[in-house]
Amino acid sequence: MYSQAIRKFLERVGVKAGDRVEIEKKGKIYQGILMPRPETGDPNCLVLKLPSGYNLGIAFEKGIKIRKLKAPTEKARKPKPPKFRKDLPGVTLFAVGGTIGSRVDYRTGGVYALMEPEEFLFNLPELSEIARLESIQRPFTKMSEDMDPKDWQVLAKEVAKKLNREADGVVIAHGTDTMHFTSAALSFMLRNLSKPVVLTGSQRSSDRPSSDAGMNLICSCWVARSDIAEVGICMHATSSDDYCHFLPGTKARKLHSTRRDAFRPINSKPIARVWPDGRLETLTAYRKRSDSQVEADVKFEERVALIKAYPGSDPALLEFLASKGYRGIVIEGTGLGHVPTQARKSWIPAIKKLVKDGIPVVITTQTLYGRVNPWVYTNLRILFSTGAISGEDMLPETAYVKLGWVLGHTQDPEEVRKLMLQNLAGEIKERSLPDTFLI
Amino acid sequence: MKIKCGIEIHQQLLTHKLFCPCSSGMHEKPQLEIVRRLRPVPGELGDVDVAAQYEFLRNRVFAYKHYPNESCLVELDEEPPHQLNPEALETAVMIALMLNCDIPDEIHIMRKIVIDGSDTTGFQRTALIGMNGWIKTSFGKVGIKSVCLEEESAQILGRKAGKPELVTYGLNRFGIPLVEIGTQPDITNFEEARETAEKLGMILRSTQRVKTGLGTIRQDLNISIPGGVRVEIKGVQSLSLIPKVLEFEAKRQESLLKAGEKPRPEVRKANPDGTTEFLRPLPGAARLYPETDCPPVRIDRSWLDALKLKLPELLDEKIKRWVEGYKLSWELASQLARSDKAGLFEYLIQWADPKLVANVLVNVLKGLKREGVGIEKLEARHFRFVFEALREERIAKEGIPELLKKFAENPQARIEELVSETLGPEEVKRLVKKILKEKPELRELRNPFQAYMGLVMKQVRGRAPGSLIAKILKEELSE
Repeated sequence: MYSQAIRKFLERVGVKAGDRVEIEKKGKIYQGILMPRPETGDPNCLVLKLPSGYNLGIAFEKGIKIRKLKAPTEKARKPKPPKFRKDLPGVTLFAVGGTIGSRVDYRTGGVYALMEPEEFLFNLPELSEIARLESIQRPFTKMSEDMDPKDWQVLAKEVAKKLNREADGVVIAHGTDTMHFTSAALSFMLRNLSKPVVLTGSQRSSDRPSSDAGMNLICSCWVARSDIAEVGICMHATSSDDYCHFLPGTKARKLHSTRRDAFRPINSKPIARVWPDGRLETLTAYRKRSDSQVEADVKFEERVALIKAYPGSDPALLEFLASKGYRGIVIEGTGLGHVPTQARKSWIPAIKKLVKDGIPVVITTQTLYGRVNPWVYTNLRILFSTGAISGEDMLPETAYVKLGWVLGHTQDPEEVRKLMLQNLAGEIKERSLPDTFLI
Repeated sequence: MKIKCGIEIHQQLLTHKLFCPCSSGMHEKPQLEIVRRLRPVPGELGDVDVAAQYEFLRNRVFAYKHYPNESCLVELDEEPPHQLNPEALETAVMIALMLNCDIPDEIHIMRKIVIDGSDTTGFQRTALIGMNGWIKTSFGKVGIKSVCLEEESAQILGRKAGKPELVTYGLNRFGIPLVEIGTQPDITNFEEARETAEKLGMILRSTQRVKTGLGTIRQDLNISIPGGVRVEIKGVQSLSLIPKVLEFEAKRQESLLKAGEKPRPEVRKANPDGTTEFLRPLPGAARLYPETDCPPVRIDRSWLDALKLKLPELLDEKIKRWVEGYKLSWELASQLARSDKAGLFEYLIQWADPKLVANVLVNVLKGLKREGVGIEKLEARHFRFVFEALREERIAKEGIPELLKKFAENPQARIEELVSETLGPEEVKRLVKKILKEKPELRELRNPFQAYMGLVMKQVRGRAPGSLIAKILKEELSE
């Protein structure tokens, strides 16, 4: 936003962003379109788009003059949108975040949301041959770092509703940062899942020709019309635009801040490999599409925390969480699941106290890959003798979501332990296989 | 013939990449390759052009080769750009100031849509650095429309026909900082065009912050004749070719008009013989939108004023100064000024005659290079040692090439080690004569040989055998 001085000035002279203007400063004259102020840079500079297309900033100083020019009459062309084919499977698109469902106004640089399914066909004409986009649902739109369990609950309910009515499958366009949390949450919340639920997003925003959004969305639609009745993430498998992986919702994680192929399966293989031309190769067993009704079981205990053990970490953190009324804690231990044990600041007494007070503590590993183990070292035996629960080969994020969901259903410590150790949605695998590392 | 012509010059800058610290050396072999597609993006004027873009892109796949130190995730479009290279920005502003341009208060980095695959992103990052400038030629003033700082595109390495067509690019060139200078269409004759391009080139090289060598500068021409249309000619390789290219193009348009045909607005490619061939239709206005990953850069006025004070001396002025002040030949001065040794020259003349220094830096080095000597290993200090030794008469002028050669072969060597090997009978004789002349009184001693021998040995410092010194000294004493 412009500085207050500029805003006052513009208001007084009756000029607003988007107007064609002439600016005069120190005898020099500039003509162009006055642009809105970007978030970055100097708010006391007017931004002008020159006829050449370049923007430049003109510092706002005393004596500057600005005059509105007559805007050239722009031919308002509203092109006719292409139509979807009626005979193709129906897919409902939920656009809850990320840039897939938005479009940039190149004149002003503003971003606005696509509301009509047909609008997608301008950028992705291929879609019309893959699926019939039923509708675009926007129960909420937010950056993925701003999502919280309430959003997962809303989403799960809305998705179930659509799956039980017209949709043959659902694609969810989501910000990427916490997509694996949402996919885990939907995996636990959508019971009796009978159709595909595909989360996707983009690591390069969709306003650029090199965006990964298009191929990710196309591949996601192929999965949404397939017979794979699973919740999962469908994103680029490699840095090339060759194919996508459909990753199990409870076994996927974002492993890179910027690369297209950031999402990887952890302790699992991808469910399928999908090419933009529709080829689909399944790589693991999966639940088949059926007619059963999907149930959204969204009860969730929000007072669950995910914390990390590290050298020097203070067990007072655990006491603090307990004092704040937290009902469950997932710890990302080191290696096999260690926490500081014989250290100056041992975590053992605090964990012991939590368990005794009926607050379940689940141990996972910050190595992500591999399984925690209660027996190999003395310190592990000490840790698990407190009553902490082994997270097995679960991702820490998945264990966090699962614990919240389990505690939403029961607060009985023995019941919680039983459920946490039981595979509910593909989150625990009994066998660790050699071909699931670094893929 | 009456023409209307504007020139566009693209010059690579001598610094690392514009938006990451990768080297712009272009020396490496590619390491791995990825394959990408580009997708159309909606335009400002409805979505009509999207359909055309879609058709074009549907039939193309792009392969990009990555280089170990010359590309990274930024070039691969797998990481947002880092901060704008401040050195490149300073050089671009410097150039804009030398072209008498206005510098905006705030520089905004833009994305210019390019969908031929030469940018992994699908756009070229570019920023307007200067506008409304001018230069003078012997024909008058030529306006400078704009000076932009932008990313160099990736270099095309090959095409494989098919459906889709596979186009391979090298990412080593992608992202090298490039200054684009566009003149107003003020040029009205062929020679003026050549002179304008030459002047711009001279100004660019004067900064000593631009790359030199094949492919580091590219010249495009815009030309129209009365009744004709604007045609853009890309990639004119040399200055001398400019008048010829313009003349051919003017004649081509003229003959089309005479035949009753209207020339089409198009982009043509310059051939080495001055003729041109059709490349593509002239594109519409470039589509630019803000690069939201890079914040705008506020130009501080005091920084700008300081920069104005340290603008480099123009090459033309430098040559004139050397010719007049040091009596260098124009040819030698101009070769030296255009080389990367200009600064070294001004440093070394405190030890030796400027004419000699210039000759060593231009001709002697040229000769050594021809012999296969690795002259790129020679540093300023090596030259300093050589001219110091010369001043102290430890070597003769004729010994300079040999000594430089030894330094190139052994850059860590101390001057004493190298000079000691070079003392032949002639040098010993010279030294003996010098000492005899300096100390005539010693001849009166009972044993003059012994006294002189001590002095000579002290100066020779083991660089010649004692027997040789004794022989020469005896000869000289007996004369």
